[in-house]
Amino acid sequence: MAVVTLGGKPIEIDEDGFIQDPGAWDEGVARDLARTEGVEEMGEDHWKLVNYLRDYYLKFGIAPMIRKLCKETGFPLKQIYELFPSGPAKGACKVAGLPKPTGCV
Amino acid sequence: MTGAARGRRIVLDAKEGAMADQADIEVKDAGLDETIQNLSPERIEAVIRQVLDTRTSARLKVYLETCVHCGLCSEACHHYLSRDKDPDFAPVAKVKNTLWEMVRRKGRVDREFLKNAARIAFIECGACRRCSMYCPFGIDIAHLIMMVRRICSLLGVVPQYLQDTTNSHAATLNQMWVQQDEWIDTLMWQEEEAAMEVPGTRIPLDKEGADIMYSVIAPEPKILAQLIGNMAQIMAVAGMDWTMPSTDGWDNSNMAMYSGDFEVMGRVERAHWDRAMQLRVKRIVMGECGHAFRGAVYDGPKWLGWQGTPIPMVHAVEFYYELIKSGRIRIKEKFKEPVTVQDPCNIVRGRGLHDKLRYVMNAMCEDFRDVEPRFEHNFCCGAGGGVINCGPPWKLARMKSTRVKAEQFAETGARTIVTPCHNCHSGIEDIIKHYKLGMHVSFISEILVQVMERPT
Repeated sequence: MAVVTLGGKPIEIDEDGFIQDPGAWDEGVARDLARTEGVEEMGEDHWKLVNYLRDYYLKFGIAPMIRKLCKETGFPLKQIYELFPSGPAKGACKVAGLPKPTGCV
Repeated sequence: MTGAARGRRIVLDAKEGAMADQADIEVKDAGLDETIQNLSPERIEAVIRQVLDTRTSARLKVYLETCVHCGLCSEACHHYLSRDKDPDFAPVAKVKNTLWEMVRRKGRVDREFLKNAARIAFIECGACRRCSMYCPFGIDIAHLIMMVRRICSLLGVVPQYLQDTTNSHAATLNQMWVQQDEWIDTLMWQEEEAAMEVPGTRIPLDKEGADIMYSVIAPEPKILAQLIGNMAQIMAVAGMDWTMPSTDGWDNSNMAMYSGDFEVMGRVERAHWDRAMQLRVKRIVMGECGHAFRGAVYDGPKWLGWQGTPIPMVHAVEFYYELIKSGRIRIKEKFKEPVTVQDPCNIVRGRGLHDKLRYVMNAMCEDFRDVEPRFEHNFCCGAGGGVINCGPPWKLARMKSTRVKAEQFAETGARTIVTPCHNCHSGIEDIIKHYKLGMHVSFISEILVQVMERPT
């Protein structure tokens, strides 16, 4: 566990770089997290994915199925990997301020 | 001398100093620190005695009385080797600092001892069983460590991330809280996706009497759905008679086996086999996962008191071998990049699939570069045995213990590391990033769908 500066404020992250307090998330935090995952510029499509993930998480307390993410955002799976090279869970979910998923991942 | 020992030694730039510190030892994990607070000395003693006096019986006594403390197991352990031969990480030391003390003190150990034992059993041993091959008496050291995990689980002292996965198994029979409608929706989606690649591809649900029931682990529908689509394409091209279940029993994974919750482990395994028997399939083919094979074929049936599996179960590696060897799948043009491979412990040390894995690799790849040591002597990925499932708090410990693995991969000069196991896959992704290897990881199916001949 370490405290790093994200979006101009000190934020606690775990060893995989996921933020610990979803309440600390804002767009500045997301932009800085995106850079750690190889996304230099958050475009409109990045935000669409990230906002969907965050809303879903706040509502249900879990990340959505990848099927749900593709269906609701209209992005094919390939495009999600183009937007977030480290993938939906370790890339997009991290930027959206979700915790690291449990399981064999 | 091993290739890894010969090869260049990787020194972590910014993190070199971290090898000596305690950052990976003094970790806070609510699953250990908070749960321990609820335990009285009497409760700890009673649970340890219950396990030692009833369940373990002759096997434990033989192991304890046979070990001559020769230390030959030390050099076999990737934790020990990666940490500059720190004696605390020798398998014999791990048993001494956990189970032997519990036996010697007749269960009268305190909370501090217990947290230390839990860390050793869940984080510092992945039950890969490499050490057993080097023990002159063949003592199954991993079995002793699993006994410690069993004690911890009965006491409720389990790393939080791993326990969450076990809770998911208990509640949903799959490891990622996937609901039935989500599961079916995902299969139908992947059927459509696969049909765009291979026209006419279907994922037949609940087809009674099919030759094959195909089962996967929950991270596939949850995150890596394309892997299901890949297998659908392969099945279609090979013309197999197969099915997938629409109801519980579709997840063949089992983290309860590694958290020590054998009651849940047994329920999960029974559901998986029940489903196959209800569908009256001839055999189960499972996806690219190592521990799931162990759970379904060995630990599950044993716990359930069965003599063996009711019908055969075939790992993806064996299945691909069969498809390529028989000509049902033909390779159109081999994969060109240099590729190496990881031998997952549960299907190589556990099942001897290393030759079949090499056959598949050579059939698919033009430039296959083997690792050294290899086959059953290969090093563990450091993630299996439930270790990566213990989550981010323990990542540094995992990285410190996989230096020999990183060196071994670097030595091959490959660009892609193929591994037919989800734990290996995620663990090696972490190793690549941490040790800056500049490689990437792939499942077999991801390469196979690229190189196989498709009907025109």
